[in-house]
Amino acid sequence: MGTINAALGIISGALDADQQALNVVANNVANANTPGYTEEKPDWQQNQPLTIGGVSYGQGVTETGATSQRDRVLEERLNQQQQLASASGSRLTALNTLQALFTPDSGSSSSRAGDIGSDITNFFDSFSSLEANPTDNALRQNVLSTSGTLAGDISNAAASLNSQRAALDQETAGVTSQVNALTGAIAQLNQQIMTNSPTGDAGTLEDQRQQDLSQLSQLIGINQITTENNGLAITTTSGQLLLSEGTSYQLSTGMVNGVTDFFLGGTDITSQLALGGGSLGGDLTARDGDIPSALHSLDQLAYSISTSVNARNNAGTTLDGYTGSAANPVYIFSQPAVVAGSAAAMSVVMTDPNDVAAAGAGDGTGNNSNAAAMAAMANQGIVNGQTPTNYYSNFVTTLGATVSTVQTENTAQNASVTQLQTQNDALSGVNLNDEASAMTTLERSYQAASQVFAMLNTIMASAMNIGEQTTVS
Amino acid sequence: MQESGQRGERPKLKDLVVEASRALARLDTGRLEELALSCQALNRDLVLGDLGETNRETRAVLGAESKEAVGEMAVFARVLEATRANLHVMNRLRELREGRLEYGLPHRQPWRPTESGHGDN
Repeated sequence: MGTINAALGIISGALDADQQALNVVANNVANANTPGYTEEKPDWQQNQPLTIGGVSYGQGVTETGATSQRDRVLEERLNQQQQLASASGSRLTALNTLQALFTPDSGSSSSRAGDIGSDITNFFDSFSSLEANPTDNALRQNVLSTSGTLAGDISNAAASLNSQRAALDQETAGVTSQVNALTGAIAQLNQQIMTNSPTGDAGTLEDQRQQDLSQLSQLIGINQITTENNGLAITTTSGQLLLSEGTSYQLSTGMVNGVTDFFLGGTDITSQLALGGGSLGGDLTARDGDIPSALHSLDQLAYSISTSVNARNNAGTTLDGYTGSAANPVYIFSQPAVVAGSAAAMSVVMTDPNDVAAAGAGDGTGNNSNAAAMAAMANQGIVNGQTPTNYYSNFVTTLGATVSTVQTENTAQNASVTQLQTQNDALSGVNLNDEASAMTTLERSYQAASQVFAMLNTIMASAMNIGEQTTVS
Repeated sequence: MQESGQRGERPKLKDLVVEASRALARLDTGRLEELALSCQALNRDLVLGDLGETNRETRAVLGAESKEAVGEMAVFARVLEATRANLHVMNRLRELREGRLEYGLPHRQPWRPTESGHGDN
């Protein structure tokens, strides 16, 4: 009867195994819409065969549990790409705001930062006009008017940049509490996972940990290190320990030189976080790199125009016959002492149009040589060796190129995240596609896209007559 | 996208490149293969078309469109590069899972990306 019992054992074992497998499937279906849920697949173990009279009879299978279909390496790569995409995304947002500030608005009648290019032209043109009739009061008034517009637009632009920087600073400071909450939660999950599942997959606990890691990756750049018993240590991309197994280390903030800096264990890690990725990395890059760089360019422009024009006016003769001196200078703009802060402080100090020194020193008051010299400055390399218009134009062009580069990076990184998400879903999500078909899709897409790219390249080269006209099959 | 051989409104090169980048991000193989056929047809028309006035005009229009699409091509190239990196990672993972990267077991040549032909190599 041993054989019959064994046979029944096989059947009931198979039924039990089927039932447990059905439970796993039911669990998958029930969690199909749960964010971050990873599909579980039943583990089957072959039972020891029964040997009767030298013949082995199979004893069927027993379901020994469920294993989540996840791949930590893939999930980590996905997190890394998310860090990069978040960083370029938040930097791009800041850069777009910056670029909008310097974009000319043809529909607006009021003066603004976007008009600085035409302000510079109008300012130097006003001296050309004065050159033709140096005693004309209206033309002198026009010099003061164009000076005021130029100074106003530059100082307003600097104020806007400082406001944007302050807003970004506030935003970055707010990230700290989110990072600390997430590292704390991951440390707790680590503890539970290490206690309950030191050797196997921790199922939903692991899902939660992956979700928290994904959120953390969107905020800052991190590295993950697997420790013993399914534990995890997380560092910033530059190696500062954020959490190790059950212990998390809190990020703190403090004001340094007027902006929020980030500390970990008493060490200022702001510059490392800026390079690390995540939205914090992008915001810090904009706050400490892009905006100060734009501000410096404006400062340089304001400093060079103010000091050069003031020096020239001080060397000429006013309509009242006065020539300025070091002790009693005749300036058009407020005289900056250093480059830093020149843009924000730029203003017109001259109130009397007669003080515009159109005549050269020692010439009669009706002379125009100094007005001609000031008009000629428009074509001289007075701003870091460049003409004022070229300097400003280069600044705007460089800004545009930076926006374009970051836009390209962001698009590519988001595409990469989408692709990896698709692969990850195929592997770990509740999805009918299996890993092999996902891989085939990735391979076929890459091959088809490579073909499209090669053909477009040929078409464009041919159309632009850059290269030889060739066919691509 | 216009079928090969049909005459009608041709999409601008810029739109075509943007569409290709989007399709690649979504891993929409079918769409990419359609786009490849469209590009093939366009290229054939351009190369094998008569050398008369119409072809010269088309070439001039495409030349202007090509200049407009340079930025979008840079994006497409970057997405293609990211895809290649992802493909590399996925292939390495597959090999790892299949135990092919164990020391001392050189079962087969490790996977290497094929020549992409997109000019980044």
